Amino acid sequence: MKVRYFALLRDITGCKEEEWTRPADTVGGLIHDLVARYGSSFERWVMKDGKIWDLVMILVNGRDVRQMSGFETPLKPDDTIVIFPPVGGG
Amino acid sequence: MYAWQGKVLRVDLTRGTFSTEPLRTDWAKTYVGARGLGTKYMYEEVDPTVDPLSPENKMIMLSGPLTATFAPCGGRYEVVTKGPLTGAIAAANSGGAFGPELKFAGYDAIIFEGKAEKPVYLWIKDDKVEIRDAGALWGKNVPETTDALREVTDPDARVACIGPAGEKLSLIASIMNDHHRAAGRSGVGAVMGAKNLKAVVVKGSGAVQVADQKGFYEACLAAREKIKAHPVGGTGLRMYGTNVLTNILNEVGGYPTNNFQTGTFANADAVGGETVADKQLERPRGCYGCVISCGRGTKVTNPKYAGEGEGPEYESAWGFGGDCGVDDIDAVTKANYICNELGLDTISMGSTIACAMELYEKGCFTKEDTGGIDLSFGNAEAMVEITRLTGLVEGFGKELAQGSYRMAEKYGHPELSMSVKKQEIPAYDPRAVQGIGLNYATANCGAAHVRGYTISPEVLGVPVKVDKDDIESKPGLVKTFQDLTATIDSSGACLFTTFGIGADEYAAMMTTATGTTYSTDDIMTCGDRIFTLERLWNLKAGLTKADDTLPPRLLNEALTEGNSKGAVSHLDQMLPAYYELRGWDADGVPTPAKLEELGIQA
Repeated sequence: MKVRYFALLRDITGCKEEEWTRPADTVGGLIHDLVARYGSSFERWVMKDGKIWDLVMILVNGRDVRQMSGFETPLKPDDTIVIFPPVGGG
Repeated sequence: MYAWQGKVLRVDLTRGTFSTEPLRTDWAKTYVGARGLGTKYMYEEVDPTVDPLSPENKMIMLSGPLTATFAPCGGRYEVVTKGPLTGAIAAANSGGAFGPELKFAGYDAIIFEGKAEKPVYLWIKDDKVEIRDAGALWGKNVPETTDALREVTDPDARVACIGPAGEKLSLIASIMNDHHRAAGRSGVGAVMGAKNLKAVVVKGSGAVQVADQKGFYEACLAAREKIKAHPVGGTGLRMYGTNVLTNILNEVGGYPTNNFQTGTFANADAVGGETVADKQLERPRGCYGCVISCGRGTKVTNPKYAGEGEGPEYESAWGFGGDCGVDDIDAVTKANYICNELGLDTISMGSTIACAMELYEKGCFTKEDTGGIDLSFGNAEAMVEITRLTGLVEGFGKELAQGSYRMAEKYGHPELSMSVKKQEIPAYDPRAVQGIGLNYATANCGAAHVRGYTISPEVLGVPVKVDKDDIESKPGLVKTFQDLTATIDSSGACLFTTFGIGADEYAAMMTTATGTTYSTDDIMTCGDRIFTLERLWNLKAGLTKADDTLPPRLLNEALTEGNSKGAVSHLDQMLPAYYELRGWDADGVPTPAKLEELGIQA
């Protein structure tokens, strides 16, 4: 699956996007794998109180997981996952 | 009195006289200040059918009770007048330090009446007020004017002025203050130009007294801590500015591209906040009392577009970027600088160029008409050049200087103007995000994202995620956001504080600052009252329910690609419920019962 990063997650991961080959059945599983890979700086921007932060915007094929099954949203190998840390504007 | 200074400066430009008068405290308590109080003064003193560019229109500059206090981000002021772009009530909000300086000089508001015989500027140093000749400044741009006026008045004075666009009555002209800050929308700069008023220069040495110093300090401190602790208000906006939204809106399929012909832009990342941070950002900047620092101090080193200044914000980057099909961030930032220098609203400018590009590609005018400029989508050089010409109101820029609606109407296609009440729509496609479309259609100043920023819950999930495609929840959501925004705008604080605090915190700050008790409900009711008075003004000005709509493209043409493919705006299904929630009848007219509830005498 393809994982795309924005804002400071690009600095933390060192890339704009990457092919993620390690199996992850759900969004939650993927995020935990990414935290394991990129460490505390990544964790700081996606986790809060031991859970995935609900202000983190995660899209699976363009759909916000907060309007799907949240972090239980299932993933397939050909999915594109987009992750924005909490940001805003106007 | 506390928080308010209790004094209004009234300037008769026709006679060249001025006077001071007590602030109407009864109005201040119920309409708060800035946007709300300005609307009340307009409602009581100006015929809503007046020609906006005539001497009979008034222009009011107002601070709010929290302006220049310890309140977080208390650096705002408002310009309230009848907007020449829209024919509706205009309330253009700006930051920087001009508003606080006005307050330090001892004034809550300046009411400008009439028209000066020749160009003048107003110089205020506390109680000393002078109307001075501005003949030598006429024709100068914003930085030249600002620097020249500081030289002849006070090097620390704050300046709000117009550039050539306002002088030449462009309907998309802004009023600029502190060099880079804009009271941008609805053509307020043209009102100033029509009055032959080049600038307002202020230096104050006073202070603002609050009713309960300890309580106010504690309320402000708590609010500041909440904003600083919030990931958006405390960190996100400082790091990437508002333009971080480019990629977000593009990913959800709501990034208007090529004059709203699509909702995705292939190279959006090239004009996004991440790219600005990598290539142009010198340092984040904040307004008076700011704890957020969303402003972008930038520099473009590319010789073709070299310059230095502030911006672009998300809306500006979108207007000159994706909406024009331009993916060159240096060109985008250069166009932003030109607008700041010549005094143009970046949102209306970008969207008007996009409209011109569509008209050009449809053959409504040719290269001969444009003076040799190839206005094809994606032409960065043309985009920058036509911005310059519009700011100077020269060549084909004269066409664009009237805004997209009048230009498109002239060439037989008013439907290609992406505007509401003739004011250009900002950077969120209402087909992809339903609530923001309802807000655009009902915002009293014409299309504006900062009248009810439902993007926050609908897209960002702040404070909680709301389904962007749902329509049943949106009338209530939009009303709530519009009402809270009206009070915050009127308080003199920055709307971005809502990335951290809400009505509870504003109730605490307003109560301790003013000595008048405001409950959380009062904060929302004040907003409802202000919004409803604006509506009454518009109805008296001749606007009707028919003006609460969106361009036909957004209602009828489904998005053809991207992650909101197939979507249209369902405004017609949301509007009746919205009117009902507001206490308006089926024609959008506030009912007598609603007016009584709000204490408004029509």
